[in-house]
Amino acid sequence: MTSVINLDVTTARTVERRDEVFAETITTKIWREQPSTDNPYIAQSHLCHGYELSELIQKRSFTDVLYLLFRGELPSKDESSLLEKLLIAFINPGPRHPATRAAMNAGVGKTDASHILPIGLILLGGDRYGGGEVEVAMRFVRKHCRRPSLTYLQEFSLGHKPSTVDKTLIPGFGQAYFGIDIEALQLAENLLESTELELPTLRWSLDLSEGLQGEGLGILRTGVAAAVLSDLGFQPRVGAGFYQLMGAPGILAHGLEYSNKPMTAMPFVKDSDYVIED
Amino acid sequence: MLLKTDNTTRSDPDAIEGLEKKRGRIRSRQGGWIPGKGVYNHGFSMLEDLVGKKTFMQIVVLNATGKLVSKPLADWIEAIYGCLSWPDPRIWCNHIGALAGEAQTSVTAATVAGTLAADSRAYGQKTLVAGLTFIQTARALQRSGDSARDIIDREVKANRGKVDIVGFARPLAKGDERLTTMESVTQELGFDKGEHLCLAYEIEQVLVHDYGESMNINGYMSAFLSDQGFTPEEVYRIYSVMVFSGVTACYVEYADRPAHDFLPLRCDDISYIGPSVRTLI
Repeated sequence: MTSVINLDVTTARTVERRDEVFAETITTKIWREQPSTDNPYIAQSHLCHGYELSELIQKRSFTDVLYLLFRGELPSKDESSLLEKLLIAFINPGPRHPATRAAMNAGVGKTDASHILPIGLILLGGDRYGGGEVEVAMRFVRKHCRRPSLTYLQEFSLGHKPSTVDKTLIPGFGQAYFGIDIEALQLAENLLESTELELPTLRWSLDLSEGLQGEGLGILRTGVAAAVLSDLGFQPRVGAGFYQLMGAPGILAHGLEYSNKPMTAMPFVKDSDYVIED
Repeated sequence: MLLKTDNTTRSDPDAIEGLEKKRGRIRSRQGGWIPGKGVYNHGFSMLEDLVGKKTFMQIVVLNATGKLVSKPLADWIEAIYGCLSWPDPRIWCNHIGALAGEAQTSVTAATVAGTLAADSRAYGQKTLVAGLTFIQTARALQRSGDSARDIIDREVKANRGKVDIVGFARPLAKGDERLTTMESVTQELGFDKGEHLCLAYEIEQVLVHDYGESMNINGYMSAFLSDQGFTPEEVYRIYSVMVFSGVTACYVEYADRPAHDFLPLRCDDISYIGPSVRTLI
């Protein structure tokens, strides 16, 4: 259908539908719902990438099925073990992370309990300290980790005098509170020591981190997550959401901890400490 | 120990001192509420200078940009909101609103979810950043001597022969009926065509002639608001919730209906294209 629009210009502007062809149905490789015999809307069984959900419930761990959902195949024993350790390592961004603070604020503010987690997760998707940074960091390590970290460092140094280095220039690396994030380093070491897998991306990232020490820089938590997720074969586009997913339990727990407390249970900046600048 | 680190953070003491000064204190350039004294907003007293004296949209723009714009400009900014959000649940963000109604979420959760969906590279508020960036860059190129056709040729070449210029061409339809309405609004509010809008029309003329594509509402508002001196980020902030009203409308329709009213799906309406049944070893 075409309609001519009244135009105050010489060329008549028309509006017409494009002949884009949209899919007739939704398709998925992930999940099949087998309809029941007498109601096509009620499922009687479910397949996850070909495996019966009922069988997965009986025989596999949550971590195995989580890996299956995103990768399409079940993990090896070592991969499953590493993913489980990663999930534990990142289970809580901690009560000082903006995402957790937002959840606690929602909790103490008597926000509906069902809103607490989405509120926190939106913040955990941010480009700073969050999932947005993980995705970019995964692209970065995948691009550079085939060459020695020293080569990257030399090229990086050529372009930047130490005193002028932008401390947020390398995704997943930099400073936490103006210093090297030794907790992230310990986390990386813990994960390396806990697996038989080689983890080449994490090792490369730690080499790079070591090379950056002189600048007062190092790997960040987001960089550790990015490296391990890459080593487990996850694509960068998975990174942001998966990082949110990993931190969800801690965010919710902290938010709920405050949901039954009075509003006075959380600090409220005193008027004397609130300065309105001109 | 696998890592060659001495376990120190090598932190900058001056930077830590700076953090210490910020603990428990807020310094705001925006304003705030001091009980017993008043509410302040960018140097204005909220209750004495703004409420009842300035329009809601003037206050919205003030909060988003720190600029107190004229009433006609705020009216223009408000008018175009009506072009950016309408109650059709086939539109992606509105679809989420309808589904949220079906799922009986709160209206706020529904509206926020749909609004967040429109924070997209393909449509919605985020595309305004690209729209304003394009027309402001194009205007700079024009000042350096490029013609509208030069600008288009460069863009089309960069996109391997495709017309993929934000603000010109639109998903689902060719042409944009909203421009006619907004052109009238612009005229009625007393605005002239500025240099960005003039360039946008020049670009449109070339695109219509060469490719059969025309300006869309993004291109029009990007050019107009560039003429008003806004940056891309300022416009993104002003319009951060630009689709909310249509999302709410679609939520309301299905929240008030019985279950399974919005596009019910049979199990076999979802085509499974994954592996066939396999057994765990």
